[in-house]
Amino acid sequence: MPSLKGIPGDERDWIRRFPHLEQALAHPLDRRRTLKLLALALAGGGLAGCDPGTPDRGFVSAVRAAPGVVPGRANIYASAHVRDGYANGILVTHQMGRPIKVEGNPGHPSSLGATDLFAQAEIQDFYDPDRASGPLHDGMPAAWQEVTTALQALRAVPGGAGAGLRVLTGTVTSPTLGAAVEALLAAHPGAVWHRWDAIGRDAVREGAAAAYGRPAMVIPDLRQVDVALAVDSDLLDSAPGHLRHARAFAGRRNPVRGPMSRLYALEPTPGLTGVAADHRFIATPAGCEEVIGRLAASLLHNEEPSGGPDWLRAVVDDLRAHRGRALIHLGPDYGARTHEAVHAMNEALGGRGGVFDVFEPAEYRPAQPLSGLPDLMDDMEQGRVRALLMLDVNPVYQVPRFAEALPRVALSVALADRPHETARAARWHVPLVHGFEAWGDARADDGTATILQPQAMPLYGGATAAALLRFCAGDVVRPARELVLQVWRDRLASERDWRAALAAGVVPGTASARLDAAIAPAMPRVLPGAGPADLTLLLRPDPHLWDGREANNPWLQELPRPLSKTVWGNPLLVPPDLARSMGLRNGDEVALFVGARRAVLPVWVQPGQAAGCVVGLLGSGRWHAGETGDGVGADLYPLRDGVGAVRIVATGRSVDVACTEHHATLVADRPSDIVRHGTLARFRQEPGFLGVARNDAASIASLYRRDPGAPVAWGMSIDLNACIGCNACMTACQAENNVPVVGRDEVLRQREMHWLRIDRAYEGTEEAPDTFFQPMLCMHCEQAPCETVCPVGATMHDSEGLNLMVYNRCVGTKFCSNNCPYKVRRFNYFAFAEQERRPPVSRNPDVSVRGRGVMEKCTFCVQRIAQARIAADRDGVAEQVATACQAACPTQAITFGDINDPDAAVRHRKASPLTYAVLSEQGTRPRVTYEARIRNPNPALET
Amino acid sequence: MSAPAVIVPAVIAAGETAQSVTERISAVTLREGARPWSPLWWWGAFAFSLGLLGMGVISVGWLFYAGLGIWGIDWPVVWGLDILNYVWWIAIASGGTFISALFFLLGVEWRTALNRLAESLTLCAALCAAIFPILHLGRPWFFYWLFPYPNTMGLWAQFRSPLVWDFFAILTYVLASTLFWYFGLLPDLATLRDRAQSQGLRVFYGVLALGFRGSGRQWRHYRAVYAVMAALMAPLVVSVHSIVGMDFAGSAAIGWHSTQFPPFFVFGAALSGFAVVLVAILPLRVLLGLQAYVTDRHIDVLGRLFLTSSLCVAYAYLMDGFSTFYGPDPAERTMFVLRVFGLYAPVYWGTIVLNILLPQLLWWRTARLTPPLVWGIGLGVLMGMWLERFQIIVTSLARTQMPSSWGQYTPTIWEWSLFFGTIGLFLTTFLLIVRLMPVVAMAEMRAMLRGGTA
Repeated sequence: MPSLKGIPGDERDWIRRFPHLEQALAHPLDRRRTLKLLALALAGGGLAGCDPGTPDRGFVSAVRAAPGVVPGRANIYASAHVRDGYANGILVTHQMGRPIKVEGNPGHPSSLGATDLFAQAEIQDFYDPDRASGPLHDGMPAAWQEVTTALQALRAVPGGAGAGLRVLTGTVTSPTLGAAVEALLAAHPGAVWHRWDAIGRDAVREGAAAAYGRPAMVIPDLRQVDVALAVDSDLLDSAPGHLRHARAFAGRRNPVRGPMSRLYALEPTPGLTGVAADHRFIATPAGCEEVIGRLAASLLHNEEPSGGPDWLRAVVDDLRAHRGRALIHLGPDYGARTHEAVHAMNEALGGRGGVFDVFEPAEYRPAQPLSGLPDLMDDMEQGRVRALLMLDVNPVYQVPRFAEALPRVALSVALADRPHETARAARWHVPLVHGFEAWGDARADDGTATILQPQAMPLYGGATAAALLRFCAGDVVRPARELVLQVWRDRLASERDWRAALAAGVVPGTASARLDAAIAPAMPRVLPGAGPADLTLLLRPDPHLWDGREANNPWLQELPRPLSKTVWGNPLLVPPDLARSMGLRNGDEVALFVGARRAVLPVWVQPGQAAGCVVGLLGSGRWHAGETGDGVGADLYPLRDGVGAVRIVATGRSVDVACTEHHATLVADRPSDIVRHGTLARFRQEPGFLGVARNDAASIASLYRRDPGAPVAWGMSIDLNACIGCNACMTACQAENNVPVVGRDEVLRQREMHWLRIDRAYEGTEEAPDTFFQPMLCMHCEQAPCETVCPVGATMHDSEGLNLMVYNRCVGTKFCSNNCPYKVRRFNYFAFAEQERRPPVSRNPDVSVRGRGVMEKCTFCVQRIAQARIAADRDGVAEQVATACQAACPTQAITFGDINDPDAAVRHRKASPLTYAVLSEQGTRPRVTYEARIRNPNPALET
Repeated sequence: MSAPAVIVPAVIAAGETAQSVTERISAVTLREGARPWSPLWWWGAFAFSLGLLGMGVISVGWLFYAGLGIWGIDWPVVWGLDILNYVWWIAIASGGTFISALFFLLGVEWRTALNRLAESLTLCAALCAAIFPILHLGRPWFFYWLFPYPNTMGLWAQFRSPLVWDFFAILTYVLASTLFWYFGLLPDLATLRDRAQSQGLRVFYGVLALGFRGSGRQWRHYRAVYAVMAALMAPLVVSVHSIVGMDFAGSAAIGWHSTQFPPFFVFGAALSGFAVVLVAILPLRVLLGLQAYVTDRHIDVLGRLFLTSSLCVAYAYLMDGFSTFYGPDPAERTMFVLRVFGLYAPVYWGTIVLNILLPQLLWWRTARLTPPLVWGIGLGVLMGMWLERFQIIVTSLARTQMPSSWGQYTPTIWEWSLFFGTIGLFLTTFLLIVRLMPVVAMAEMRAMLRGGTA
């Protein structure tokens, strides 16, 4: 079997794992040495059977289960998923003491019960077999004792290590870590803390600080917004608090349930916020800045819009007309001055206190003045840095010249979860425990704090960042829990409060204070845009690998990128006109130059991308991510500090780019029926114009008995107005249902296994298409075509309306897949599950792992239904079931439940005039229905 | 009946008697005293066939070991060359039954010299077809689950599935055509037993002849059973191809869900059946020296039948397009347009040229009586029928109702090697039958010369 990435496996992989062995084998093998090695192997085999023997983890097999652990019943513990410093509350589901699934924490303000795909995929990170198994010294395994001895040197310096000591971290919101940094800086006067994120939000931070004269966090409240303009915005997909924003946004998008908001988007390359908009305008980043300049002229100086795009006047009028209910949001890729102008415009639109408000930042030391990475690197190159602690950062991979500067630091220590690029380049690599293994804390964007409690014993051992800093500060070594307790002693004084905070996953009353700082009065009139360039290169984080940290996560590698649907790689996204003029087709390889710097990668045509803009996705091309992520895609970080013009030269070669949608990009006739959509104006005239009335499936005659018979009838409704295509549901489904990863080669053979996929449809022109997302899963048809053609009855209907798949009975004729109009069935061409690297304990024990040669598909999370039924039988409560996809969805696009229950939410949603069934003319009577997408375009812009 | 404008050639050369027929045909099989025992061309062909068969065996072995993933089938094209070859072979297997059973019932004289070879072709092709329904399974070791056998779990086959009908149809067809072929052989096997010189051959044919001695009672029973079997086989050949058609028509997939499929598949079967008989018989009558028995008259008749079935298939193609555009489904139309003009358009047009246009040459009698040309047309149609199945199976699955699940299909070396392996299986078994069994039904020829039925 080929490896996951479709590149030959590293035959010398064992040397990476056992570096000492290489030394031993490097000597000529004589008889004596051979016998020695044989004896070692024998002894090693025996030792492997022993437990580590350390006093605090004597392993005793559980003759009696731990309190509260009942086989077959899940335990749930609150924690948080921390990304770039900010926390999203999660609940971790355990089976027999091992974490197997992440859910959102409904009580957490940044989660509201939902998760993003990163939180869902954290299970894979936790069980990743490539995580650091012990400290390294110069890339060679070392004992913990050696690490402490080396760091002891740091402690022993009288009066502290002083000016030579530097600490590098990402954004910190953790009070415990903040306190540890303080302790270190106190112990070593002259030591400097540097904050740096590979995908930074410095401009956002500085822009707010400039606008309000002090560090501030501007948080919009989309529930209040009637008209919004999102400029290259990441509000719905990655900004801190994006799950909450997505929920609020979706709450205003279905005209059946309330008044609709209107969203204008202006962006160079399609993002989730842009394609969700009612009007999507396309401009290069310079064009976006120019528009903001003109908007500022209109909104701040009351000038009539002149010049600029023709739609500008209508947008300005609309924003003005909705004073107090209008918002402009700008993404993080623009300068601080531009952000400052946007803040001023929002103030001028009068939305403060409603559509947005200004808060104390949740970060530790938000006002930290210029001491980011460039200063650190200058100092390193000048030899001014004697000791460097790099805490959970990977600058060797992400910063082009960092690897050259690092050897000039005498004592460099990388605290990292895996032996990644920086960990190997540093003198010392100290393993970082995973967030599921240690005590910690973190704050959400609104400041709400969560205590992270360990979900499991450390799988490999390691230290937390706070513990390492405390040790270097010369403090007494204390367990991580005490470090956290120490910080929260005042607020959570009693054991009861502490336990309540742990159970709830939030520390009450920790939300940031509202600021009354006024906007700075002086505003620049017109913002200078960048000079005209033939070609602009936008380097953006990969939506799934982010800054590269998720490169070793097979779920995220194989998760189709929301718009391109590509997997296992990062093709250069090029606009259609450039592709045409250069004669480039998907997969054609190009050399991308920024000045003298160069990367070679395939291209992918991205409809709706601004002419003259190419988009490179950062986070691929890692060389020490782990077995899964090494060598996937091209590393574009070196282009970041390239100086000079951007050029593309076709190499004449073509490579296969794995993609999960294979149809021609624009299909004219079908999507309009499969993804029904219309305008709000039309909806007001005739609410049912897209719904069942147009094609009443119920009227199709049938010879068969229709009524499945049971009192409960499971059904699902998916609101296309709410779906933003974020892929959280796909990852949740993969985690819940043990859906295997198949690897790049098998995706190229069109054999991906996702039970739930998000179909992306384009309509209109390639230059500016309308984009639609549609989650597609087993429709659980009442008249299921798959069932009638299975010769062995391996797919059957149950009395509650579930279309069941009996894996043991399946012989693999695949006829069911042929007969499925929705093509939601997946076939195990190989034993995909067996080939996965994840340990078996990481799987959901309630879901069968499918073997080679059987068909599989969405079950409506039948295991959750069964659990609910058991609970209902036992406790006499109504069956409450949330499918994995539904639970994860930030926008509550998916509703599931008993359609016979008159109070069920799903029943109300299905009664919506927008409800329709996909391919209803097939007479399949699907239990999954959709609410058609309604858009709210500005009549003034309708042509 | 008015005299035909041209002289119809006789179904048997002048001067042949019952004695000469028996002697010459037995000699083809027995070849006692000849060196080498089998002709050189036979050894050469046999070695080639065994080579192909060996390749097929390796392909199946690797398939069982590694799984279906070694093939190029994917999502959404979950059926590829496996089902294609199955349908292709089963259609080829129809020829013998048409000629042997249907024209036996119609009592046409020219059938007699052809039926043995045609039935043998049927048998070999049905064997090749029968292995694909098992090999295409994800878990082929459970193929017997399609059979309704009593078991402790109380599980039963799912009788609404066309695949179950198919399972029964194939099983019945293979069993019935084997019996029909073997039963028809009995008098000839007895003849060979009686004429063989060596003890070994006498025992070999004696055992196979099942004690047929040619008594009046045996002949009476033989004729009655043969007629009954022929009467069963004739509708069976229609039913088996109808059911193969229903494998597709019984589903809801676009491009398949069509009421005309059962007759369409019978037409296609007739066309491939006649094609393979022509392709096999034209060289064999030269190689085995059977020109006296398989005369130009036979070739002429087969050519006319061939042309007729080609026209039937043309009608089906026409109706396929008509019903697509007459019907309401836009997905059907999209698929049809893409089938005709899209990625797989060469397959569609190849089908039209090879199956429809090429056989039109047979309108000319001169063409019908030019063996190399007829042979070439036969081979062309066999390829055309293969392309037709590719077009039905692959282009339909690749362009389904949901554009998001459109895909492509490229067969891998393992599918090709299995396909050529079944050609090896076909040739190997056919060569063995040609070598070991009488190639012309001697008893029937004798009866024909006597002016009666066998």
